[in-house]
Amino acid sequence: MAATTFETGTPVGVRRLLGRALPYVVLVVSISPIVLGYAWLVIATFSYRTEGLFPIDAEGNIGGWTLRNWEFLTDPAIWRVTLNSFVLAVGMVVGVGFVSSMAAYSLSRMNFSGRKGFLSLTLILHAFPSVTLLIAIFFVLNFLSKIPGIGSGFGYNTVGGVALVMISLDLPLGIWLMKGFFDNLSWDMERAALIDGASRFRVWWEIIIPLIKPGLAALAIFNFLSGWSAFLIPFTFTVGTRVANLPVYMRQLISDTAPTNWNMIAAVGMFQLIPVLIFFVFTQEMLLSVYAGGAKGGT
Amino acid sequence: MAEAVMGREVARRPPSRWVQLKATLGAWGFMSPAAVLVLVFFFLPVIILFVISLTDLSSSNFSDPLTFVALDNYLRLFRDRFFPKILGNTLFYVALTLSCFNVGMALVLALLTTHISRRVGFFFRLIWLLPRITPSVIYILMWRRIAHQPPFGLINQLLGPFGVEPQYWLFEHPWLFVIMVNGFVGASFGLILFSSAIEAIPKDLITAAKVDGASTWQIIRDITLPQIRWPLLFVTTYQTLSLLTSFEYILLLTEGGPGLYTTEVWALTAYKRALKTYFGHNQWGYGAAWGFVLVIIGIAMSIIYLRVFRFGELVQEPKIDVL
Amino acid sequence: MKVELENLTKRWGNVVGADSMNLDIQDAEFAAFLGPSGCGKTTTLLMVAGIYKPTEGHIRFDGQVVNQVAPKDRHIGMVFQSYALYPHMSVFQNISYPLKLKKVPKDEMQKRAQRVADMMGIGHLMERKPAQLSGGQQQRVALGRALVKEPQLLLFDEPLSNLDARLRLSMRGEIKRLQMELGITSIYVTHDQVEAMTMADRVAVMKDGKLQTYASPDELYDRPSTLFIGGFVGNPPMNLLKVEVSRENGDFHARREGLDLVVPPDRGEKAAGKGKVILGIRPEDLTLAERGTGGEIYVVEPLGRDDLINVRIGEASVHVLADPALGLRIGQSVRLEFNTRKVQFFDPATEQSLLWA
Ligand SMILES: Nc1ncnc2c1ncn2[C@@H]1O[C@H](COP(=O)(O)OP(=O)(O)OP(=O)(O)O)[C@@H](O)[C@H]1O
Ligand SMILES: [Mg+2]
Repeated sequence: MAATTFETGTPVGVRRLLGRALPYVVLVVSISPIVLGYAWLVIATFSYRTEGLFPIDAEGNIGGWTLRNWEFLTDPAIWRVTLNSFVLAVGMVVGVGFVSSMAAYSLSRMNFSGRKGFLSLTLILHAFPSVTLLIAIFFVLNFLSKIPGIGSGFGYNTVGGVALVMISLDLPLGIWLMKGFFDNLSWDMERAALIDGASRFRVWWEIIIPLIKPGLAALAIFNFLSGWSAFLIPFTFTVGTRVANLPVYMRQLISDTAPTNWNMIAAVGMFQLIPVLIFFVFTQEMLLSVYAGGAKGGT
Repeated sequence: MAEAVMGREVARRPPSRWVQLKATLGAWGFMSPAAVLVLVFFFLPVIILFVISLTDLSSSNFSDPLTFVALDNYLRLFRDRFFPKILGNTLFYVALTLSCFNVGMALVLALLTTHISRRVGFFFRLIWLLPRITPSVIYILMWRRIAHQPPFGLINQLLGPFGVEPQYWLFEHPWLFVIMVNGFVGASFGLILFSSAIEAIPKDLITAAKVDGASTWQIIRDITLPQIRWPLLFVTTYQTLSLLTSFEYILLLTEGGPGLYTTEVWALTAYKRALKTYFGHNQWGYGAAWGFVLVIIGIAMSIIYLRVFRFGELVQEPKIDVL
Repeated sequence: MKVELENLTKRWGNVVGADSMNLDIQDAEFAAFLGPSGCGKTTTLLMVAGIYKPTEGHIRFDGQVVNQVAPKDRHIGMVFQSYALYPHMSVFQNISYPLKLKKVPKDEMQKRAQRVADMMGIGHLMERKPAQLSGGQQQRVALGRALVKEPQLLLFDEPLSNLDARLRLSMRGEIKRLQMELGITSIYVTHDQVEAMTMADRVAVMKDGKLQTYASPDELYDRPSTLFIGGFVGNPPMNLLKVEVSRENGDFHARREGLDLVVPPDRGEKAAGKGKVILGIRPEDLTLAERGTGGEIYVVEPLGRDDLINVRIGEASVHVLADPALGLRIGQSVRLEFNTRKVQFFDPATEQSLLWA
């Protein structure tokens, strides 16, 4: 009895408290670069210049808040690249959503020859690092450019071409994800619809699609974000600012203008981050699961 | 009699083969957009890449007819003065990022975030997701600032008071930042997979071990790790391939520098040779050779995954035969 | 519509869903498929519906082979255990969906859907979504959807098994009444023998993908053709005892340790001299009496109206229905009288009935 009381005395209590706190300390330290990066971005956006995390005014003292970094919003160029970014993002949402939900539907729910083969192919492509193909895709796009009618919309150095490439490279992921949603739907419902007289296309469009809206929404958010943030593919397959999107435009600002105005670039970045953060705040749980299921390429 | 009835029927109804064909055509109707895109942007490029890697195609002889040079590009690749350097860089980069962040850090974070309360754990995982969804250009912009020279850099400002020499961190320690930049993005994948696997471990198992008097460390070693070995293996192999072929962040952060080939990895070499040279001279043929080696590794490794992780067995048979 | 199954077989690799089914269902007949879980009832039904393609064999509707006919052209309606309602559509949209697909004009569609809904007693729920309905109401919607296109064949796949006992009882009656009124040929899949016996004109008993028999409920009960049917049909199930039947002084005796029954000659004759055979007798054909076979009560299970008691006779035990008022206790010695005019005999090797083969 006495021994028990002794063991829970002060020295052990302190150690246990430390043990409790340790995970939090490690976790807080681990996220510090992320938090610092974001903190700097926000501060820099509204100041003349920064040293470390401090806003600095013209005289070199701490202070000097300003909105002049946001003047880029009056530049028509920014709106053109924003539009390009938006078109790319929406193109990804619609393209990947439509194409992959059709393909995934037939892979999940129809019996046809070639099904097994295409399924394995989808799986392989899902793991396959598609960035390695960019060099060759350059030639495919160049070739598309030469086809009259298609070329002006989907060739090299067009938003359509970039969208097409990005949609294609995201397809294996989209198909695999959507297939997971289709696999969980009731077979009886689909059977009932077939007996009621629906064709497979109508079953897909009128019965199945309304039921997997949550899945489509998750895929849409994922694709909107990857289209909106896309850098490598637009950077590789476009030249100049006419078809650049926001990330590429930002990159051009960094390397072209002789004395780089970092604070203005931070503001452009902030501008671009707004939709991303909105999605981040409102769809956290969905994002966590989608990125776990589908995170691909990158690192 | 029955025969006659059947005969009449067969004559009136389309034969079974035709029905089968119709079903297949119908299904491929659904498949066709995906099939065409896969063909044009996966299959065709693999072939094109291989063919080009056998030629000396470059931006200087673009309009001339193709000259095939057999395996010259591949020989040249291995004889390249910087080949050992690039190969070493690639292995160094993959091994360190993988072990320190994509698996190591991810595992530590997963253990920590599942150890504390659910809500707080979820919050930290969410913060860790931020680098992944931050557009790469902005993400790199932040890191450049963090590692910038005095008086701008954040590290200098933070560590200065502790007597750390102010310096241009990105230039002095480029590898440190290449690995951190990629690792902070990469860790979230493993983090999410590991923590959901850890949360799925039956609580009884851990309670039983605690009753037996196991310490936290023993529980991790004897129960948690064995229980999540499949996610561990999956993340390790999957991310090895991703890292091996990724170069976007390095391109944005250092472009392979500072100096000659300091942080240049294989995939970046292929990309720069073929598409983005400083001098506007694109050696498509030579770059394609670098790229095609990665493609072969990619195909081989993805097929191995498919086998090892038996994803094929997740595939269920359709429960409707007709179209 | 007359439905014939001829050698109907469905296989997936090694898995056999249905094995050479041969069956004729007459026009306006109510047929039930009865069997334990996994015996292939749903598989057979889905082949009739056209959802599964038979591996072998033919399905005929009114004499015409329909193997290649699409489900929508088979003039059938189907009701599923899970109801399979379209959750995003209202009751009205659910019921009228088959008509919409047939491009029936709007006002006629409205009229027909309303008529069917009224018939099903859900006319006032037309604007609700399925999630806002009770299980019974959902099943009525499903039934309405199957009926609205005026099918020539109705298929039911365990439609009542998700309902509570009382609702099941009333729906049972309603479905039967509807079917008789409309005169639609129906196939009703169930693993509940009471449903099958009370509703169907004839019952197809299935086991391991094979049709065991196709007979009227009375025949199934009184003249089971196989051991499986004898044991499967009837609740509580038939008592089965290994006995040896022999002829002595013109009487037929069925004997085992502690048991010696004199059985009627017409039945005894067929089992005599065959060595060990299986004797079947239903619990309701056993009565507690002053005289008869002696035994000891092993378990007493009150069922409400009756007590089900398990009586040990030597090594064997039998179930007997007894009046709860008797206040029987475990361990008590009792005597049983066998209604030997109802005994069944089965061959233990082939499991066929020795009486009705
Ligand atoms: N699509 C399928 N693929 C492979 N095997 C199947 C398939 N459908 C059914 N089976 C198998 O065929 C057999 C018969 O199944 P079925 O669904 O017809 O049984 P059931 O009699 O309807 O049973 P229950 O009363 O449980 O509904 C089972 O062994 C089942 O596992
Ligand atoms: Mg069934």
